[in-house]
Amino acid sequence: MQYVIPAVFILVFIVAAFKRVNVFSSFSRGAGEAVKFVFSLLPLLACTFIMCELFERSHLSDALSKALSPALSFFGVPSELSKLILIKPFSGSGSLAYLSRIISDYGADSYIGRCACVLYGSSETVFYISVVYFAKCKNKRRILPIIVILAATLISTITACLLCRIM
Amino acid sequence: MNLIFTAVFALSAVVMLINAPSDFLPAMLDGGLNAAKCCLTLFCIYIVWMGISAVAEDCRLTQKAAKLLYRPCKKLFKTENSAAIESISMNLSCNLLGIGGAATPYGVKAVNALEKDGNEFAQNLLFIINATSVQLIPTTVITLRAAAGSAAAHDIALPSLIATAVSTFTGVALYILVSKIKFKRAVKRKKCST
Repeated sequence: MQYVIPAVFILVFIVAAFKRVNVFSSFSRGAGEAVKFVFSLLPLLACTFIMCELFERSHLSDALSKALSPALSFFGVPSELSKLILIKPFSGSGSLAYLSRIISDYGADSYIGRCACVLYGSSETVFYISVVYFAKCKNKRRILPIIVILAATLISTITACLLCRIM
Repeated sequence: MNLIFTAVFALSAVVMLINAPSDFLPAMLDGGLNAAKCCLTLFCIYIVWMGISAVAEDCRLTQKAAKLLYRPCKKLFKTENSAAIESISMNLSCNLLGIGGAATPYGVKAVNALEKDGNEFAQNLLFIINATSVQLIPTTVITLRAAAGSAAAHDIALPSLIATAVSTFTGVALYILVSKIKFKRAVKRKKCST
């Protein structure tokens, strides 16, 4: 996989040389767009990150994960993982920290450790992505797609635990 | 977002008022710091990827990629907007190659192009595909497992791939289904009112 990125760059530069495109000015134009884009994101990201931090520090996430774990274990998801499932949509770094704790507590090759790894690899930080994608849209109230994603993630979670038991 | 934000914010504030009132302000400041850090990381990623994509655009490479995916995109996203389709197809190809950093700027560009048509269906669908993105090889997790002394760090790659495929597929199918039901209801309501 590590070959893909250099290969893509080389391909682009070769084509640029053939077409006599000014690489320097094109690249800096793109970088300039990146500056504008990231600055437009900052206020929205600040709101999201403050919310995520409060959600975790107030131990709301602990309480919710305790409430959720019986329902999850009904579907064959170990209750030790409920907090990871809950944190993942909110924060990437928080869930990564929690994943490494699970791995060191239960071992990387244990059932719980493997489940946690598959879960982590198969879900994304939904709230953050929604902020990035809809930053410039008039309609920022996109509840339906978020619910759809969370439902899809739940189904893939159940599948992941099932797969870890078989494979 | 407003509803979720207000609810989480208010609930956490109440809980922290009881449990740890002195931790409330530091938690928010840490949130701000995380946002700033995240922006800085994003800044580095986007400078590189938006830079190289500008070069690719000026070579008309992106148009070629778009031609390949034009028909399936047109059908799936129900749009005739060629600028949007170009960005969508670049977004999808970057996702498949496993270059998440390059996929996001194209995705945002596509969403903004679709905003002009008011095509919320396509915007949401693209968002769902990206938020449940198919990741070919979960590098972070494999590195973490190897560092923890796993005997077979790679053996979660296949279950992960299947699980992400399941989440993308269910997400897309569910959203198309729900929007079809919504559309039918809207048509019925129109019929009733006339």
